[in-house]
Amino acid sequence: MANNAEDVEKNMDQQQANAAPEPPQQQQQQQQQQAQEAATTRARSRGGSGAGGGGDGGGGGGGGGSGTGPEQNGQPPTPRPVVMVDAEEDEDEELTLKYGAKHVIMLFVPVTLCMVVVVATIKSVSFYTQNDGQRLIYTPFPEDTDTVAQRALNSILNATIMITVIIVMTLVLVLLYKYRCYKVIQGWLFLSSLLLLFFFSYIYLKEVFKTYNVAMDYFTLAIIIWNFGVVGMMCIHWKGPLRLQQAYLIMISALMALVFIKYLPEWTAWLILAVISVYDLLAVLCPKGPLRILVETAQERNEPIFPALIYSSTMVWLVNMADTDRPKRNSTEAASSQQETPEAAAAAAAAVVVSPAPSSPSQDDGGFTTSWVNQQQHQLGPLQSTDETRREIQQMPSARPPVEDDDEERGVKLGLGDFIFYSMLVGKASAAASGDWNTTLACFVAILIGLCLTLLLLAIFKKALPALPISIFFGLVFYFATDNLVRPFMDKLALHQFYI
Amino acid sequence: MNLERLPNEEKLSLCRKYYLGGFAFLPFLWLVNVVWFFREAFVKPVYTEQLQIKTYVKRSALGLLLWVAVLTTWITIFQHFRAEWGEVGDYLSFTIPLGIP
Repeated sequence: MANNAEDVEKNMDQQQANAAPEPPQQQQQQQQQQAQEAATTRARSRGGSGAGGGGDGGGGGGGGGSGTGPEQNGQPPTPRPVVMVDAEEDEDEELTLKYGAKHVIMLFVPVTLCMVVVVATIKSVSFYTQNDGQRLIYTPFPEDTDTVAQRALNSILNATIMITVIIVMTLVLVLLYKYRCYKVIQGWLFLSSLLLLFFFSYIYLKEVFKTYNVAMDYFTLAIIIWNFGVVGMMCIHWKGPLRLQQAYLIMISALMALVFIKYLPEWTAWLILAVISVYDLLAVLCPKGPLRILVETAQERNEPIFPALIYSSTMVWLVNMADTDRPKRNSTEAASSQQETPEAAAAAAAAVVVSPAPSSPSQDDGGFTTSWVNQQQHQLGPLQSTDETRREIQQMPSARPPVEDDDEERGVKLGLGDFIFYSMLVGKASAAASGDWNTTLACFVAILIGLCLTLLLLAIFKKALPALPISIFFGLVFYFATDNLVRPFMDKLALHQFYI
Repeated sequence: MNLERLPNEEKLSLCRKYYLGGFAFLPFLWLVNVVWFFREAFVKPVYTEQLQIKTYVKRSALGLLLWVAVLTTWITIFQHFRAEWGEVGDYLSFTIPLGIP
């Protein structure tokens, strides 16, 4: 798998050398031209291709006819129009915004799904809201203290520790990347997704069965977990159907969010959310921020950043169909259109490492004794939970001649860390709020609005942006406002049967 | 991953890998194979590798059906007789429901 990814990167280099990617500091003219080209491409291909989105990939489908229906199969792609020299600002802007709007919708669905999964689990499976007295090792200070001041202090300390851990992990990641230790990074990502897919889904399944009082035998369970895990690893790290890969990414984000919801105490969780969005803002936008350095290094090297754990609304990262035959120019060109150019390469990596299992297992620990858990931690090494770097959104590159692109192929990428923290916010809101569904819905809407705004900014600025700050800020504001202002108001109204 | 963009040989190779992988107690992989390559195998107009892809899809479907049958039988037996098996039943159980069976 590691080799595959490396080949991916090497071949990306070759392709990108051909494709002459442009640095983000482009001139406005170029951007406009690109946008226009993209626009015209889009306009044409929208008419042409069917839902399969493979219109011009028909050529890539290999000699033998591949076509059905509306796809332009087997035919050479329609020639590019001459790039319009006169900049029609309005049309350009409109198309840019339309382009942005479509991708907003494309991201709404997965984010909503993730949140729905998390909220549904929180509401039904009580395990995730129980306080078993366990904590992550990153948040050692308890929150059930005697005084409010003590509690506040503890939560601040917890948040500080967590943020420090995250910063350190990001720096380690950036360093590893800078010194080209790709294998280490890929191994790390592989291990952490392994942990997520097998161990956490095992726990999840156990709790769901307990909640619904269903008997399950080890044999069937083993088959289920084995299948789920292996197919997940294949889809995420190798090749698999796009929808399945998206589904898996959503599921692991939800699992991770659930872990956070369970093991982070109240005030710590809110503080962490706030601090992480600030950190995200700084890390991505400041010139010396680690994530910005990561992006720029990747751009210098003309490489994509880690091909794992970024949700892509259309094509998958690792799909490098082109790493075998160069002669099949059609397919390589078509393929390269969906892959990252350095511009888009800021897909932050997942340092998905997951937190180690809690140190004091609960009564029913599913057969895992304390010693097993500790041994696991020991073997797996200091895997730590971070999701920092996944917080960048990017746009897929706009069309590069002679690449064929249509709307569906150009997607938006959102880091998995964003999914996780959004879901964590909404999940915590549904778990803890006294306003119950009001608060949950308010947070949900707030996050989606934040996402819209972020994508709008993305369409305007066309470079990697942090996805967390706006959404989390809105989410937090809405949560506290709804919980403390709106809910009592609604309660009073209902009490007095006063309808407004 | 968009199958449209792959050359046929690679489609075939992918289909084969999914088929072979399914033998490692992975009926889900066979299911994915069937669903994903169904259009390729049966709906698309003929191309050279299509016949082989068809075979793989058919065999995956067969394997899948077999697994489904086996699993359904086992699950039915287990759920029905678990309480009666006493200790063995508990030993086999991963979660034991509360209440009177």
